[in-house]
Amino acid sequence: MLAVPFSLLLFVSNGTLATSGNTMDGGWQFNPAASLLALAVLSGPLTWLVGRWRPGLAWVAGALLAGGGLTTTIVAIATGDSGVDVAWAPSWGLRLAFDLDGLARLYALLATGIGLLVVIYARRYVPLHLHHQGRDEREAGPFFAAFLLFMGAMLGLVMARDLIALFVFWDVTALASYLLISYDRQDANARASALMALLVTGISALGLLVAALLIEDRYGTFDLGAVIAAAEAGDHSLGLTTGILIVSAALAKSAQLPFHFWLPRAMAAPTPVSAYLHSAAMVAAGVFLIGRFYPLLATEPRLLDGLAVVGAGSMAISGVLATTRADIKQVLAYSTISQYGYVVLMLGLGGQGHYGAVAAVFYVVAHALAKTALFLTAGAVTEATGERRLDRMGGLWRSMPALAAGSGAAAAGLAALPLTVGFFKDELFFAAALERGPAAVAVAVGGATLTIVYIGRFWGGIFLGPRRATADPVPLALVGPVVVLGAAILLTGVVPGPVARLAEAAAAVSLREAMTVSPAYHLDTRPENLMALASFVLGGTLLATRRFWSPAAMGLARIGQRFGPARAYGRGLDGFERFSGAMRRVEVRDLRGRVATILLPAGVLVIIALIATPTRDAFSFGTIQRGDAGLVMILIATCGAGIASTLPRDHLSMALTVSGVGYCLAVTYALFGAPDVALVAVLVETMFALLFLGMLSLLPRRVLAEEAAEPENHHHGRRDAALAVIAGVIALVVSWSALSRPTFRESVAVDYIELAPDAHARDVVTVILTDFRGLDTMGEITVIGIAMLGIAGLLRRGRLR
Amino acid sequence: MTLLFAVAVAILFGSGAYLLLKHDLVRVVIGMVLISNAANLFIISAGLSRGQAPIYPLADGEPVSDPLVQAMTLTAIVISFGVAALLLALVYRVYTSHLSLDLDELAEADERDEAVRDLATLTGRQR
Repeated sequence: MLAVPFSLLLFVSNGTLATSGNTMDGGWQFNPAASLLALAVLSGPLTWLVGRWRPGLAWVAGALLAGGGLTTTIVAIATGDSGVDVAWAPSWGLRLAFDLDGLARLYALLATGIGLLVVIYARRYVPLHLHHQGRDEREAGPFFAAFLLFMGAMLGLVMARDLIALFVFWDVTALASYLLISYDRQDANARASALMALLVTGISALGLLVAALLIEDRYGTFDLGAVIAAAEAGDHSLGLTTGILIVSAALAKSAQLPFHFWLPRAMAAPTPVSAYLHSAAMVAAGVFLIGRFYPLLATEPRLLDGLAVVGAGSMAISGVLATTRADIKQVLAYSTISQYGYVVLMLGLGGQGHYGAVAAVFYVVAHALAKTALFLTAGAVTEATGERRLDRMGGLWRSMPALAAGSGAAAAGLAALPLTVGFFKDELFFAAALERGPAAVAVAVGGATLTIVYIGRFWGGIFLGPRRATADPVPLALVGPVVVLGAAILLTGVVPGPVARLAEAAAAVSLREAMTVSPAYHLDTRPENLMALASFVLGGTLLATRRFWSPAAMGLARIGQRFGPARAYGRGLDGFERFSGAMRRVEVRDLRGRVATILLPAGVLVIIALIATPTRDAFSFGTIQRGDAGLVMILIATCGAGIASTLPRDHLSMALTVSGVGYCLAVTYALFGAPDVALVAVLVETMFALLFLGMLSLLPRRVLAEEAAEPENHHHGRRDAALAVIAGVIALVVSWSALSRPTFRESVAVDYIELAPDAHARDVVTVILTDFRGLDTMGEITVIGIAMLGIAGLLRRGRLR
Repeated sequence: MTLLFAVAVAILFGSGAYLLLKHDLVRVVIGMVLISNAANLFIISAGLSRGQAPIYPLADGEPVSDPLVQAMTLTAIVISFGVAALLLALVYRVYTSHLSLDLDELAEADERDEAVRDLATLTGRQR
């Protein structure tokens, strides 16, 4: 596998990698965390490079990298915890700290295992997809690069212990998902959908960054392990604001109410993307985040109650909406929102020593297996029939028996029928609900019923009933992964132990205590069984009586469309666009408007600062000494010249008055004890005056006269004068307060004066410019050189000869 | 003395800002020059000491003018000259391509161009 050499390089190269866990005798040891981290960083770029070199081989690189990750994860599951911890930015307290603990292993297994299956599927699907759209097959390279970039980001995310590293990988997943959703870039809808997903998850991700900073402020470290230890020691609670920020980021990523609207839109992506991002990876990242921060979130019981409410709401509303959709991918999208609603609900119910967290993790695994298979089925069916709507399909089991069987197992798994892993997910779910009383029980049975209804409608609509579409044969690679997943669902339905062990190890990280579950079939009338039975009966009845209640469900869908948060998003986007258009009109179109928009807020800020800061002793008038008379006089002259330069109408007088200002300043410098500056000022001022006059002579006299003669708009004149006064006041306050408080501590100037003779110079200023700060001068010369080149180019009408 | 320097800086800055708001491009350049002058004066007046020129031989017991701010001011003067020269050349260039030095007229011409471009893309899309 490609990953192994890289990881070997990484952990053999030096001894600074702190490894823990599987220590073997001898210096060399295999560190799964290090090799997964290498994969996390390198997967995307490597696949991209291979795709550039041979587009047809991009999928091979992707499959090898995903397979390497899967192998490494399995090794890690067998060997236990491992980690990487190297200094990153020590002065900021940042470390590249990664832990491959139980939670990370479980999500890494999902990301790499399902990633591998989807890459194999996409190998045939993407070229077909490109062919349908009349695009070049070489565009498959960037697809696999973005896909592997996403997988790598997931691996980094699940292992990150440092909050900033966690945030970085979190954001990379959003970027990669943007690239993947907008893969059909000629399609405006796909682009808009990708932007929506990026904005919703990206803006909420900023909340995560703020939360990281708040946590650092409260606990003094970015290390999540240390933060949790401190919180457990009872030092601090998380604080409701921080908790809400974290939970919002997680809920946006998991497409829960009220952020859910991006997920159905994201179905514009090619089907393998939907299968991976929107069932097993991206949406799972949100729930993972809650699991990661669970010990902290549990310190605020209100947060968990909020999670339960949001989860129940998402489960119910999108469950109903899923029964109304005609597009098969839309059904699955709403089903995903609803299923993650279960998970969030369980996490919310799971506090205070209850085992909702275990149930939640178990649920994520079972759901990922089933939902991926169903998405892949949707892709294969659309590929075979060319249809996407449920009402145009039916009876396909005869032409596609293997696909029907594989996805049948997946659908049964989602509907929690016995002999599938899904049965146990609902059993644990019901058990978690039973701990919390009758209301939770009712919600749980309702949710399970809805699942049976929409998934029954989905599978039955495609494979059963009268035949409405003809199916072309599809390649084996489009059916194989579905069958593999279906078999896995059935196998784990008979032997649920391994999944339960994984879930226990993951939940132990969230709950900070070992928790055991023993899913098994019990042929008795325990409450879980009764609840399951009730949901089967209710679900079956609702499926049979669908035409009586579906108008009501459609009505709900219409209400949601009219008043839902998607509308607020659209309005917000429109508003921003209008705002930016208005800003552009003010700023770019009119220079004066721009100057005004800078000066006014700056003035307001200075005034606020003036009011907010104590003014006592902040300003000193300074003393006028005996020899200062000349300086005072020339400063007054400078002021006069400055005001005078605003008065004249014609340009020649203006040139002369502004030169007057410059010469006055030169005299000021001379009297200030700065002969070097005075000399340069005189030189520069003379050159500028000549240049100015030269330019005036280049411009036709008529134009200049027009400009000079044109009467200034009276209203504008007053506005300008007011703004100029504001600008002057800003300058006065800022410069006076700065000049009043010189800091006398150890100025480098003293050293410069002392060191000047050692540099073989008598003039300290000269030696500063040419020696002590010579590099500055070189930069200055460069700037002037570039400016001169620019001027030469401009004067030759853009041609530099 | 401190207040006097601050007032001089403020008056130069205010005058520069006033000229920046004019619709004549030449005045805008002059405004920039005045603001640069204000900045230069501010830098040199921020010196920690005032006295004899920092050139050896130095008289004992007398304060020496802060050489650091002088070096900074020198750099600033030269850079602001470069900026002003570039701006003047730009003004000339604007005149040769638009035959106008009036910001209002330039903005109007810009808007007309934009409308023509929008129309072109609109009809292009319809086609």
